[in-house]
Amino acid sequence: MNLEDYRTLFAVTTVGLMLTAAFPTLSLVVPFPRSAERFSELWVLGPNRMAEDYPFNVRVGEEYRVFVGVGNHMGSSSYYMVYVKFRNQSQPLPDASNSMPSPLSPLYEFRFLIIDGGSWEAPLAFALLEVSRLEDSCLVRRMSLNDVIFSVDSPSSWDSESDGFYYQLFFELWLYDVTSRSFQFHDRFVGIWLNMTG
Amino acid sequence: MNDMSFLKSFVFLLVLFVFVSVVSVFEASALSEDVAALAIEEAEGVVASAYEAVLEAEEAGANISVLVARLNDAGEDLAQAHVSYRVGDFEGAARFADLCREIGEGVRVEALGLRNLAVLEAVQRFWWTMTMSIMSAVTILCLSLLGWRIFKRRYFRRVLGMRPKVVSSES
Repeated sequence: MNLEDYRTLFAVTTVGLMLTAAFPTLSLVVPFPRSAERFSELWVLGPNRMAEDYPFNVRVGEEYRVFVGVGNHMGSSSYYMVYVKFRNQSQPLPDASNSMPSPLSPLYEFRFLIIDGGSWEAPLAFALLEVSRLEDSCLVRRMSLNDVIFSVDSPSSWDSESDGFYYQLFFELWLYDVTSRSFQFHDRFVGIWLNMTG
Repeated sequence: MNDMSFLKSFVFLLVLFVFVSVVSVFEASALSEDVAALAIEEAEGVVASAYEAVLEAEEAGANISVLVARLNDAGEDLAQAHVSYRVGDFEGAARFADLCREIGEGVRVEALGLRNLAVLEAVQRFWWTMTMSIMSAVTILCLSLLGWRIFKRRYFRRVLGMRPKVVSSES
């Protein structure tokens, strides 16, 4: 190496060290893009807070318990709402591909804030309180969700393929949008099937 | 005759009383429904404003964990207000909405204070970081120049100190 090469080496090393020293200031001024994907999680767990032992064959008057949870990976604290809805097999589910929630009216709801990277979980106790049954039809008149009683009047026909009167308790996730100052359906829903046995 | 007249008057008054009672119950119910709806709407606005203030405080770098916990209490009350309203418990709905609004207003004020504090700290931190960066860069530059001068001197001394060496070649 001749003197010119040494001078280049010194200059490059000096500039590198100076940039390293300036990095803390640059990081405060230059917005570095975040590469992480932003999303939210929605889940429902069984009575033991595990993904097992979900209530399925339900009886009138008995109380069942599930846990609903949400995880926030949106890059900042987020304000969520979870709608609890009840449907029979013929009533519509949300259409997540078109960002459309189910048109059914919500019964119960949760509203909460989660910091980025955090999660939230809450129990939901439900019971079918008043059910009318004929040979091939069933009508759920009233149900309770966390000790609040709701009139639902949801009929169901006998499903001969699966042998049962099927209903679904499902949860829709909504996210507060600061721009529109309103909750928007967040394209997430999850539910459990219930078979009205007795 | 007098008895008949008295009976008629009594029946008329009774019917009037029942009518007035029913109308006032309906009116009271409608009124409390309106009051509850208004209270919920106000509470929703307060919680939304509080959330936006918390978000600003978070962006400014403030620690918002306590505010989030309190805003969750407000959210729980707001959800209860909606649920109570849905099942026709308008008094309960108004009560929960008022509780929610109270918490939400407190959180909003605290969040704004925290945001201002965080902004102040961020400005101080920025100036401190910039000063340190500039000082470090200048120090590196000075040390580098000094190092280069020393290196150059040693380099020339080494090159000038070299002597040509005659090597005999044997055929």
